[in-house]
Amino acid sequence: MVNFTIEEVRALMDKATNVRNMSVIAHVDHGKSTLTDSLLSKAGIISAAKAGDARATDTRQDEQERGITIKSTAISLYGNLQDDEDLKDIVGQKTDGRDFLINLIDSPGHVDFSSEVTAALRVTDGALVVVDTIEGVCVQTETVLRQALGERIKPVVIINKVDRALLELQVSQEDLYQSFSRTIESVNVVISTYFDKTLGDVQVYPYKGTVAFGSGLHGWAFTVRQFAQRYAKKFGVDRNKMMERLWGDNYFNPHTKKWTNKANHEGKPLDRAFNQFILDPIFRIFAAVMNFKKDEIPTLLEKLNIKLTPEDREKEGKQLLKVVMRTFLPAADALMEMMILHLPSPVTAQKYRAETLYEGPPDDEACIGIRDCDPKAPLMLYVSKMVPTSDKGRFYAFGRVFAGTVRSGLKVRIQGPNYTPGKKDDLFIKAIQRTVLMMGGKVDPIDDVPAGNILGLVGIDQFLLKSGTLTTSDTAHNLKVMKFSVSPVVQRSVEVKNAQDLPKLVEGLKRLSKSDPCVVCSINESGEHVVAGAGELHLEICLKDLEEDHAGVPLRISDPVVPFRETVTGKSSMTALSKSPNKHNRLYMIAEPLDEEVSKEIEAGRISPRDDFKARARILADDFGWDVTDARKIWCFGPDTNGANLLVDQTKAVQYLNEIKDSVVSGFQWASREGPIAEEPMRSCRFNIMDVTLHADAIHRGGGQLIPTARRVLYAAALLAEPALLEPVFLIEIQVPESAMGGVYGVLTRRRGHVFNEQQRPGTPLFTIKAYLPVMESFGFNADLRSHTSGQAFPQSIFDHWQILPGGSPLDATSKVGQAVQAMRKRKGIKVEVPGVENYYDKL
Amino acid sequence: MKRPHIFVELQKTPPVLSTPEAHIFEDPTPASTAQNTPRPTDDELWEIYEIARTAREVRDGGYKRVALQFPDGMLRDSPRVFEALEEELKRSPATVAPAGKVRQEDELVTSFTHLSTSSARTEQARENGIEKGRDGTAERVRFYILADTSYGSCCVDEIAAEHVEADVVVHYGRSCLSPTARLPVIYVFTSHPLDIPDAVQAFESTFSSKEEKVVLMADITYNTHIPTLHTSLLSAGYTRLLTPPIIHDPSSQIPNRELDTSIDLKEYSLFHISDPPQALLLTLSSRVREMFIYPTSSPAPSSTSTQKTIQANTAMTLRRRYALLTRLSTCPVFGILINTLSVANYLSTITSIRSLITRSGKKSYTFVVGKVNAAKIANFSEIGGWVVVGCWESSLIEGSEFFRPVITPFELGLCLQGDGERVWDGSWRGDFGGVEEMVGASSSKVGVDEEEMKGAERGDGVEDEDSEEESAPPEFDLRTGRYVSHSRPMRTTSSLTSPPASQGPGQSGGSTEASKVLTRRAKGDLVTVNGTVSPGAEYLRNQRTWQGLGSDFAETEASQEIEEGRSGVARGYTVGGDGERR
Repeated sequence: MVNFTIEEVRALMDKATNVRNMSVIAHVDHGKSTLTDSLLSKAGIISAAKAGDARATDTRQDEQERGITIKSTAISLYGNLQDDEDLKDIVGQKTDGRDFLINLIDSPGHVDFSSEVTAALRVTDGALVVVDTIEGVCVQTETVLRQALGERIKPVVIINKVDRALLELQVSQEDLYQSFSRTIESVNVVISTYFDKTLGDVQVYPYKGTVAFGSGLHGWAFTVRQFAQRYAKKFGVDRNKMMERLWGDNYFNPHTKKWTNKANHEGKPLDRAFNQFILDPIFRIFAAVMNFKKDEIPTLLEKLNIKLTPEDREKEGKQLLKVVMRTFLPAADALMEMMILHLPSPVTAQKYRAETLYEGPPDDEACIGIRDCDPKAPLMLYVSKMVPTSDKGRFYAFGRVFAGTVRSGLKVRIQGPNYTPGKKDDLFIKAIQRTVLMMGGKVDPIDDVPAGNILGLVGIDQFLLKSGTLTTSDTAHNLKVMKFSVSPVVQRSVEVKNAQDLPKLVEGLKRLSKSDPCVVCSINESGEHVVAGAGELHLEICLKDLEEDHAGVPLRISDPVVPFRETVTGKSSMTALSKSPNKHNRLYMIAEPLDEEVSKEIEAGRISPRDDFKARARILADDFGWDVTDARKIWCFGPDTNGANLLVDQTKAVQYLNEIKDSVVSGFQWASREGPIAEEPMRSCRFNIMDVTLHADAIHRGGGQLIPTARRVLYAAALLAEPALLEPVFLIEIQVPESAMGGVYGVLTRRRGHVFNEQQRPGTPLFTIKAYLPVMESFGFNADLRSHTSGQAFPQSIFDHWQILPGGSPLDATSKVGQAVQAMRKRKGIKVEVPGVENYYDKL
Repeated sequence: MKRPHIFVELQKTPPVLSTPEAHIFEDPTPASTAQNTPRPTDDELWEIYEIARTAREVRDGGYKRVALQFPDGMLRDSPRVFEALEEELKRSPATVAPAGKVRQEDELVTSFTHLSTSSARTEQARENGIEKGRDGTAERVRFYILADTSYGSCCVDEIAAEHVEADVVVHYGRSCLSPTARLPVIYVFTSHPLDIPDAVQAFESTFSSKEEKVVLMADITYNTHIPTLHTSLLSAGYTRLLTPPIIHDPSSQIPNRELDTSIDLKEYSLFHISDPPQALLLTLSSRVREMFIYPTSSPAPSSTSTQKTIQANTAMTLRRRYALLTRLSTCPVFGILINTLSVANYLSTITSIRSLITRSGKKSYTFVVGKVNAAKIANFSEIGGWVVVGCWESSLIEGSEFFRPVITPFELGLCLQGDGERVWDGSWRGDFGGVEEMVGASSSKVGVDEEEMKGAERGDGVEDEDSEEESAPPEFDLRTGRYVSHSRPMRTTSSLTSPPASQGPGQSGGSTEASKVLTRRAKGDLVTVNGTVSPGAEYLRNQRTWQGLGSDFAETEASQEIEEGRSGVARGYTVGGDGERR
């Protein structure tokens, strides 16, 4: 039975200092959901027997079948500390009583679902980073950790699957210690790389209690602190001192009965304290149980003060091991203790997170409310994702209250991602129907929720596509829009088999795009419904959902295709000129490539059209070597007013120039959305307006004359500047044993991949290979790799950058690129030949 | 595709003004092919322009003022046709004119028409019979050449004809056969030659089975050959051929062809002589099983090789149309572009379209711009999409150079249907006959939707008197995959303009007057014109950065502070305010 009631949870919500919002993050298959199970079993949500196998937070059927987490799942738990003494160990933040509310989010580990992790991180303050003892820190561990630190989220670490090291690898105690310490070190390397002054030093150390060791599958885990507590009494020393002695180069010399930091005593090696006091009992239990030394077991149990039920005593082998270890070192206790003691409460966290969370000025009422985590301030709530309800087509808006209190019936302002204060775009007013508590796959209704807590909202799902800000203040700005580490670079088009089903497909696409933070559903110029996802697996899951659940109609699904971008690789060979239809206006422009760094900054939102133009100019001038005058005269970003193409005014003293700005900008948005080569969006192009000649009468320089002309001159400038196509490239990380490396290299070479890093994991035969692989070549890569390495290589791919498609100019129909362009144009139903520059360039 | 065709042709010649003229004048109808062909001999002229039949019909109808409408490509023949018609009518006993006069008039006409074609092509009707009228009798039939058409040469230009108070219009060349509203029309299709044996051969190579169900159809200008072709095919052994006769009904099963309604066209293939215009191609191919085109445009049909038929493939075009109309489904402001002034019931269609747009909470503006081109309609950047009300053939305007999509009334109907109802099964129609049905059908549905929505809104949450109204949910923009707010700006109008019902009963007329004096400003701060929300004005206020002279002062650097200078006379100036003299 669940050992807490909603009333208890509600009461704890008011004590924001006793709330812990945390997410479980890790590389795929490192055991997040399994570990989460042990916490759930402690809370009585699932039975102890099932813990470790149930993966209760994998609520979807396909999650259970495939054994991977696809959606992040939130669950609220009640936790308490045994002893008032423990409260003293909560350093740097206040607490109120021994009862705690833990809002936990289990997130997926596969790279394709990174966006779910991002959404989870936004609403939590702490993260439990799970690392596999054997595999160590992997690419996704690094990615999620980096994201967590970017959001100013404090990590604690658990090293999981220790049982495997003991049972399968049969390592020695010292080797295990070394392996632990190496893993912790590599975690700390990542953490210190993304050091944030405000957050302070958040590196993890076992002797501080921020690292746990355990096995999710067997349901046991421990921290150094727990053992320190046991031994503190025995040795009669302070617990904290004991903790420090139990890790690192500390040895207990049994001959002198003294602690030392020397590994030798009179020529004989000493056992490391960690090995002697912590690993030794565990190793002994393992040895006794797995070698079926029936007689040894009872004495051992007695010594360690473990009491088993009569049925449990009858068990043998692994089953017995599980029970013994679980009783000896329950995982939930260790994790709970680590989370409560070392993760920040919302009150603590929001103090330093407020400035990174809020877009507006740091001194307005909304920001102050967030900073103080004030339940009486105006409401500030961030919806980070949508969770499907049992009612088809409706969603819970899942989010966190950062300030104020949200209750059923409260009328709120719903601000979408494009909202700007004072404008009406993306702003809606609506009453919240109901507030609910998310409990894994279920929900529990709750009347109101104060600042610092995670919840679900009913009745506002129609207003937000994926995420947004809810507030009651008229002047509040948005909470910062989430930036994902993945991009939707793999596309497939879908069509209905039966034309009458089209409305269902359209409705299904709408639902799909709501239910996933990353997927994009759109219609392209040639009328195909396109679903774009982060990778093949992600897309496969999305399309399966679409077909079976959201749309529920049979679909025809095309092969995956890759979106391209059009760019320029040189400066226009001459100034492009186009005349307006009436020949009275002339625009002169030059195209040149934009620095890749600038494009990346724009795409990451660090340089944006919303910035103050002077501040932006400063950044461009200082960091990217722009001319300040140019940088100040950026007319716009495109496409969609925020893309990575810039239009820069370099004219001198042109009369009426301001008057035509809107028209030229419209033409620029249009041209950058559909480039000259294959109607693909442009990227990383900078267009300089060199000169403008305008007719003196306003009527002859209206939009009709200038919008099409601007588009033509942009096309001409781009075509004169050695145009090229950009293709997306995956960063692939492959873990593979040395024997299978040849196969990996073979597959990569055949698919235009190139390896840039190869490292052996110390102490294992495993190699980690990092390579770049064009997305276009990545379809079927996993299967190919498996067959060439007899299933020993495990790749993880994540979109990394755009690169120029090699193989000649897109304008040359005989080149490889030219043929690709023609195929693309044919598919789109437009004239196959790329129109030449003479179509857009006018002679003087 | 028509446009590229024009384009290519123009590119062959060196550009006169560096930019192809196509950018200025774009004619949606196919370019004339007879540019370089030799002038027809007199006999051919008589035959092609059906002088005898025209003269007979004019005489029989008792018309006194006749307007002759030529497409651009045939204008050079117009004086000779004019002459021939005069001559033919002269032969009849009713009208006898002195021979000398005719000669003189000829020259006049020739010069006039040359002038009108070579000079700037303004819309005009050339009156040619002025001198004639002075000494001619009242019985005398007068002819007028309409040199340039306002919209498309396939349509009868009734307005131009009415400028000369014509009784009848003789329309030459291919025609869309749209029913006209005001004037009777004599159609002369100006038959083109066709190599019948070659066509038969092409037909046989296309349809191997003699049992094949085939509809035989030709472009209007080749229609005269249909009976001959039909007989020769019958003799070749084909048994199940259909040759629907021409009627004036673009909304029939096969546009402008009479067909028994009991026939299921889906069983039939279609053999079409000459390239049909895009609109017809889309309509036809969506209705028949397969469609084959026997091309006539290539120069040497008489050469040894047999012409190959082309199977029409419109899937791509239709898909692009689908993309266009779905991306307009969230567009808040539509422009209705009037591209005809003569097709019957175009006015009622405009009214229907307007009400259709209004009913779905969107705003429409109506425009007449003459011949449509990209530059003209890009002048109205506040318009999100355009609907063309024109003859059924010219409503389909395709081209990537249009700033905003241009769709047909039929497509508008689909576009305004909710996402939950829109079905795209490939059927397409160019005429606007279906619009009114759609208005009727959708009115009930939209009404229900609104009711539901209001009900739902009332249902949820506590109504708060002082606070702002709850907003309508945004819509999903299929093109970008994002939500769009304010896609139905006019939906809020009712709540803004009409006073709340609760005020109603207890108050007298006087107080309502008073309430007009003191109007509460709408809190949403939408721009209103005469009390209704105006998305156009809203656009001007929000989207345009250029707000007129002076609006760009803020950007310029602050100038130096003004200091008081010297004043007074040369004997001694006063400097500053302290009265010090220098």
